[in-house]
Amino acid sequence: MGFAVRMAWREMRGAWRHFFYFFSCIAMGVGAVVAIGLFASNVERAVTREARGLLGGDVEVRVSHALSEVGQTVLQSVSSRGVVLSHASELVAMAATVRPQPSGLVTQIVELKAIDINYPLYGSVKVDPSRAVTDLVAPPASLCRAIPESHGPENLPLASALSPVGRGSGEGETCYGAVVQESLLIRMGLSIGDRIKLGQAQFVIAGVLKTEPDRMANMFSLGPRVMISRAGLEAAELVKLGSRVRHRYLLKLPASVPVQPLLYELRGRLAGESARVSSYRDAQPQLKQFLDQLARYLGLVGLTALFVGGIGVAMTVQAFLKGKLQGIAILKTLGAESRTIAATYLLQAIVLAAIGSLAGVALGIGLQTVLPRALAGMLETDLLDQVEFSSTLSTASLPPILKGIGLGLLTTLLFTLWPILEVRKIRPVMVMRRAFLASEANPAKLSEGRRIGLAAHWPRLDLPKLLTAAVIVAGLAGLAMWQAGSWKIGLLFLAGLLAGVSGLLLGATGLIRLLKLLPVPRIVSLRHAVGNLSRPGSQVAGIVTAIGIGVMVIATVSLIERSLVQQIGEKRPADAPTFFFIDIQPDQAQGFARLIHSRTGEPAPQLTPLVRSRLHSVNGQRVKTEEDGEKERETKDEQRRSWYFTREYVLTFLETLPKDNVVTRGAWWTRGQAFPAPLVSVEEEAAKHLGLDIGSTVTFEIQGATITAQVSSIRKVEWGNFSTNFYMVLSPGALEGAPFTYVATVRVPPQDEVSLQQAVVAAFPNVTAINIGEVLDSFARILDRLSLAIRAVALFCVGAASLVMVTALAATRYRRLYEAVVLKALGATRGLIARSFAVEYALMGTVAGVIGIVLASSLSWAALRYVFDLSWSLQAGLLLIELLAAMLLTLAIGFLSTYRLLGMRPLAVLRQE
Amino acid sequence: MIAISHLTMRLSGGGHQITVLDDITLEIPKKQRVAIVGPSGSGKSTLLGLIAGLDRPTSGSIKLDGAEISTMPESVMARFRREKIGYVFQSFHLIPTLTAVENVAVPLELSGDVTATDRAVDLLRAVGLGDRLDHYPVQLSGGEQQRVAVARAFACRPPILLADEPTGNLDSVTGAAVIDLILNLHRDHGTTLLLVTHEADLAGRMERIIALRDGRVEKDELIG
Repeated sequence: MGFAVRMAWREMRGAWRHFFYFFSCIAMGVGAVVAIGLFASNVERAVTREARGLLGGDVEVRVSHALSEVGQTVLQSVSSRGVVLSHASELVAMAATVRPQPSGLVTQIVELKAIDINYPLYGSVKVDPSRAVTDLVAPPASLCRAIPESHGPENLPLASALSPVGRGSGEGETCYGAVVQESLLIRMGLSIGDRIKLGQAQFVIAGVLKTEPDRMANMFSLGPRVMISRAGLEAAELVKLGSRVRHRYLLKLPASVPVQPLLYELRGRLAGESARVSSYRDAQPQLKQFLDQLARYLGLVGLTALFVGGIGVAMTVQAFLKGKLQGIAILKTLGAESRTIAATYLLQAIVLAAIGSLAGVALGIGLQTVLPRALAGMLETDLLDQVEFSSTLSTASLPPILKGIGLGLLTTLLFTLWPILEVRKIRPVMVMRRAFLASEANPAKLSEGRRIGLAAHWPRLDLPKLLTAAVIVAGLAGLAMWQAGSWKIGLLFLAGLLAGVSGLLLGATGLIRLLKLLPVPRIVSLRHAVGNLSRPGSQVAGIVTAIGIGVMVIATVSLIERSLVQQIGEKRPADAPTFFFIDIQPDQAQGFARLIHSRTGEPAPQLTPLVRSRLHSVNGQRVKTEEDGEKERETKDEQRRSWYFTREYVLTFLETLPKDNVVTRGAWWTRGQAFPAPLVSVEEEAAKHLGLDIGSTVTFEIQGATITAQVSSIRKVEWGNFSTNFYMVLSPGALEGAPFTYVATVRVPPQDEVSLQQAVVAAFPNVTAINIGEVLDSFARILDRLSLAIRAVALFCVGAASLVMVTALAATRYRRLYEAVVLKALGATRGLIARSFAVEYALMGTVAGVIGIVLASSLSWAALRYVFDLSWSLQAGLLLIELLAAMLLTLAIGFLSTYRLLGMRPLAVLRQE
Repeated sequence: MIAISHLTMRLSGGGHQITVLDDITLEIPKKQRVAIVGPSGSGKSTLLGLIAGLDRPTSGSIKLDGAEISTMPESVMARFRREKIGYVFQSFHLIPTLTAVENVAVPLELSGDVTATDRAVDLLRAVGLGDRLDHYPVQLSGGEQQRVAVARAFACRPPILLADEPTGNLDSVTGAAVIDLILNLHRDHGTTLLLVTHEADLAGRMERIIALRDGRVEKDELIG
């Protein structure tokens, strides 16, 4: 061992420059993995630290209707123990300008939140101007007085009659304020001090909301946030029986009151309220899970970059050992054993890998200060500001850094073991190849010694090699599973990668075979290019594999994104509605239908009644609604199953089977059928997860009351048809007396969208208009951001692939130089040599690109089919662009690495020979 | 010391076989100085290489100090080689990444000698290269490189020294100096010396001349 260490040092001390690509390849991959790992750990740390702020309290009681008196009493009773209580209501509503803008009344869907004086219990709300948000939503009379008198009453008689705002007499009249996100000001053309109308009340915009600690970090939001006071919400008259609203009762516990017992107590005492009671510990998993998954998938892309870099490492080692043949043979004649020599080179590889990994860690640390800003754009709310994210390193940064170093070392070992094992094949007699072998003419033996590295064929039953192969595969699998955090995903990833690599290797060897079969081209530059590609020991396989994987990763991500956007957006059915109008009150139904009829000329829209409910019991068995925060649900299936049990069900009753619904078991009720007891038709998947069959009974809880129905049919639903679809449809009359609201779908030509929305908001301020087009647009935007983030990391794969190509070309530099000068000496022009290089690189790029996009197409097909349940379509344009990019990239890299050879003077080079 | 019997070496390549050595039987006693001569392609270097265990014969046996080397496993052969055999090549074959002293130290280090560097320094001084210790092979002249190679070959005091045209790449003056060095060391250490050469003068300084032709022993005579 001592000898190996000494030799390793002696060999490396003068050769640092040769190893530049070696550690660049490793550094690139490790950098990506470390940056993502650090980011994930920092986010997790911040989220954990701010857990209470993110929930808004220690304990949250969430209901879809205001708590009953009994419930209120329960909460009041705990507040006597020093618990501070805050009540926030969240709903979607329409905001309208008060003063007509040039374009008429401007309306905008908003996410409204009504807060009380105790808000926020934890964390801080950042507002501009920087004052307490509770002050701003109840602005001082002075601000109200400042509002000119001229507008209001004439324009909006109803509003002015109901709203105390703007009277400005200062006689203690209530004045409502609103704090809004900047996007609302931009979209509605307003500024601070202007007023908006929400429902029946007017609000002065008193400030701009910068961060809100407890806005759930959703990727998706329907509109900008508007924060008002509870009094304001009451005045707006938006919350009616059956309205879609989320009440959150937040509790801040004094140190003397432990969280868990209170949690259980509340769950018990509020059992009749359909309430979800959770602690700040339960609220985290969702957000954490999302970030965790994102980090894992990005991490896998990073790992791909590392593996691509591994190819470069293998090539470097191969080329390096090729140059060491003579030295190795000499060592053997001096009595060095193969084992000692292999140890020497393995040691060098480890030292270089360590340096590369450390450089990668430095790169990763640098990147992770930039990465958060790039990734933060993915979330609608500024999560990073919300949790006071910082990129500073701490002890928590150690695991991702160590993991990065570990991955770098292991990857290097895996990719160098194979070429280094070839050392065993070098026989000491090689040392005499000039005196002995050359003179005694034995090319076969000579080439056997020369054949080092990946290109070597499988020897018969070479046990160490078979073992190494097994170790390499197991090692790759281990690394993938480690990074993915799941053996299933890890193995899938590895299977995909191996399929990709084999496809690319097959393609590369296929190209070489094909070139050999084709007649020798007549064009000189072409002939040289083909010769370079098909010669023994050419680096085509490595380059094509590396570039191909880069293309594959990027193309797969963009193909999936494009398909998703197309399927949900562009492939929308022609009769898809423009608007969903929700929260139409029963007494507004007729007037609403009339309004739509008069505006569109179409027959009155169909209004579908809705009632919000939760499952009470299934087949007489009580459903447990409380979540067990401590017990992690193990499998996805279990999570999904539990979701079906605890979710909110929107119920309806219908005469006829909805469009695009197919009854798969049982039968839909017949016209004129009498219903002595309620029947229910259940959606297929829900039935499966809830364990329902024909004849089963389901009991729903609707604001404290229960209704039991018997399952009479199971339906298959086409969820993507942009209609109102239901899991549970009850028989007519079943929901009599329940607090229902109506939802209507309306289709209008694009040019009438704005005016219809304005008319509805003016006439029915509590009705919310959800524009399907806007929703889809924002969904597409999210996809775009996600895809961008993944592609940004995928760039590391391309970076690593480029490095591999540079490495490969550097290894053949001398041969190319020699050829170039010989050709020149024979009269070839610089242009001819350049052309032959160009053809060679372009051919490699094309093959890598073609195989890369074929692989990407199959991967995206599989993902769309099995993960997203969508059909695949050929994206010819996109594929062509990717292909072209691959070709140009190889051309550019090839030229950058070899253009200097073109200018060499023949004599200077040949004299050295 | 060296017992060779019915040694045959055939190489196959390009579809046909070449017989490089053809049924050679030889006995070389301890401390003998032997010249192996013959025209190019007669199998001189192959014979030397096989004695050093650098390759395996097609058939026949080679015994060094009573040990059969033709069937020795590679790792055993490696150890045996570093204890018993010193080898000087026509083209020196120093390791380019190592300094002169490191090159000489390699076989000592392989044998686990903790004083390897000191011994290597002594050896280099003995061959007159005390001022060239830290030079790399490219910084040395041909004669100097060959003297380093000779020092390296003698480093472990092997009982057998094989030299394959040690002066082939050197001018006559330098070559003579290297030969003197080898002969002195042979005398001082009592080494068995096998030297491949085509120079009659040099062969004449040995005790025995074995002439090869087409892979067979053409002549084997004791002189002096």
